[in-house]
Amino acid sequence: MIEMTNITKFYDNFRALNNINLKVEKGEIIGLLGPNGAGKTTAMRILTCFIPATSGSASVAGYDVFEDSLEVRRRLGYLPETPPLYPEMTVGSYLNFIGELRELSAGKRRERINYVAERIGLTECLTRVIGTLSKGYRQRVGLAQALLHNPEVLILDEPTVGLDPSQIIEIRGLVKDLARDHTIILSTHILTEVSMTCGRVVIINEGEIVAVDSVANLERAVSGKPAWNICIRPAAGKDWRQLVEMHTGAGISDLVEMPETLHFKLNLEKAEDFDDLFRNLTGAGHVLREITPVKATLEDVFLKLTSAEERKEAA
Amino acid sequence: MKIFAIMKKELQSFFYSPVAYIVFASFLMIVGYLFWVILISSRMASLEPMLYNAAFILLLASPVLTMRLVSEEKKSRTIELLLTSPISPAEIITGKFLACFTLYLVLILLTVQYPLVLSAYSTEFDMGPVYSGYIGLILLGAAFISMGLFASTLTENQIIAAMVSFGGLVLFWIFGWAKHAFDNAFGEILGNLSIFDRYAEFLRGIVDSGNVIFFVVFTLTWLFLATRVLESDRWR
Repeated sequence: MIEMTNITKFYDNFRALNNINLKVEKGEIIGLLGPNGAGKTTAMRILTCFIPATSGSASVAGYDVFEDSLEVRRRLGYLPETPPLYPEMTVGSYLNFIGELRELSAGKRRERINYVAERIGLTECLTRVIGTLSKGYRQRVGLAQALLHNPEVLILDEPTVGLDPSQIIEIRGLVKDLARDHTIILSTHILTEVSMTCGRVVIINEGEIVAVDSVANLERAVSGKPAWNICIRPAAGKDWRQLVEMHTGAGISDLVEMPETLHFKLNLEKAEDFDDLFRNLTGAGHVLREITPVKATLEDVFLKLTSAEERKEAA
Repeated sequence: MKIFAIMKKELQSFFYSPVAYIVFASFLMIVGYLFWVILISSRMASLEPMLYNAAFILLLASPVLTMRLVSEEKKSRTIELLLTSPISPAEIITGKFLACFTLYLVLILLTVQYPLVLSAYSTEFDMGPVYSGYIGLILLGAAFISMGLFASTLTENQIIAAMVSFGGLVLFWIFGWAKHAFDNAFGEILGNLSIFDRYAEFLRGIVDSGNVIFFVVFTLTWLFLATRVLESDRWR
């Protein structure tokens, strides 16, 4: 559905994107993840035909963004970083204007405006002037604008910025719903957002793609060996530490001793080692209070990948 | 039609903001005063002096109407919406031009009372120069607006846009003075570019096809350049 091939973009001498290759299938939700200034917005602007790439080619729904820009734009819904709103217009007249730009007939416009307004929770605001709306509502109007013509491809630049937590959950739900018959690219620097909505994650740093994979795969790749966070209440007079070290080869870290309990992180060579340890600990009278597997979060993945990149640069 | 969508939106925003009302009010006030003071002092039933002065007032006022047309879209980033919608820069420019031109026609229409007053109260009032004068005024407005619109595509700062179009228009207004300075081909060429000299012919009752074509070409040229500037944003 979306294809970027060897896309490079220079702003004067500054390289914003370097040799980006990306393929997005129909119905996918892709999350573009990266620190500020990584090139997310630039990549989106190239796909929406707002700016051209310096070299390389990109296509949306089989149309080249440069050669067939009009066809591409017909199939796109785009929410830019700043919602493109006319503050003096009412929400209803604004959406009607968008409908006209999007080549919808009068009847179709009414129908879609009502539908989208209901989906996004704007029905009561249709007669309000955009300039008087709060930031969250403006963001919603921006989103409504992108969805109005029911486009095949949706490109959302930080869609949940400025929303309150319950709105964020609503919008995430909406994005997931939309994915059934839309292809969606969204950018964000909020990591939980990506893990909650996106099928695949593209991590961009300094204009280069450093990883493309599902959230689960990325987390697995970074976490490496199995580890658990453990809390025990040791039995009086018995040495728990020796027991643990016997099984794990001293794989203990982050030890915190509380009056009653002990907290530590257990790093194992193989997951099976844990079974014996567990049996012996309880057998010796120690009480296990808590066992949680340690998973690498997307934060870890992100930090590891982006800092690895920096090390490579330095070398 | 997408051109009319743009046009409608622009006309709406003219009237949502106080700009159009203020330009209308001050223009009509000045023209009303001019009509009165010229009539009283000359005691002649001629509209020529009023139309001559009205054109200069419009030269001052039109940059105020045109300055926000594109620069405001650039400033508020709504240009990103327009350029990523299935609409061409030519359609955007045409729609905006038509909106501003419609506004201008309404403004001109509001001065029609003065020739009507003259024809009602004078015995031998010649309507010929009035018709030709109004044709000139309308063509002149198209020229003013197209140049202002072009200036507006250059920058996201409305003040700069207004100043560029004002400077440009005044320059074209006084190009004719070169005719008196240089008695050669150079002076001739500059003189031919003078929008004032050509407008003055309309006021004398002459509708020269050459002048009409000049204003049409002048307008289309600036509209074309405005379109190219808007397109070039996509290339840079």
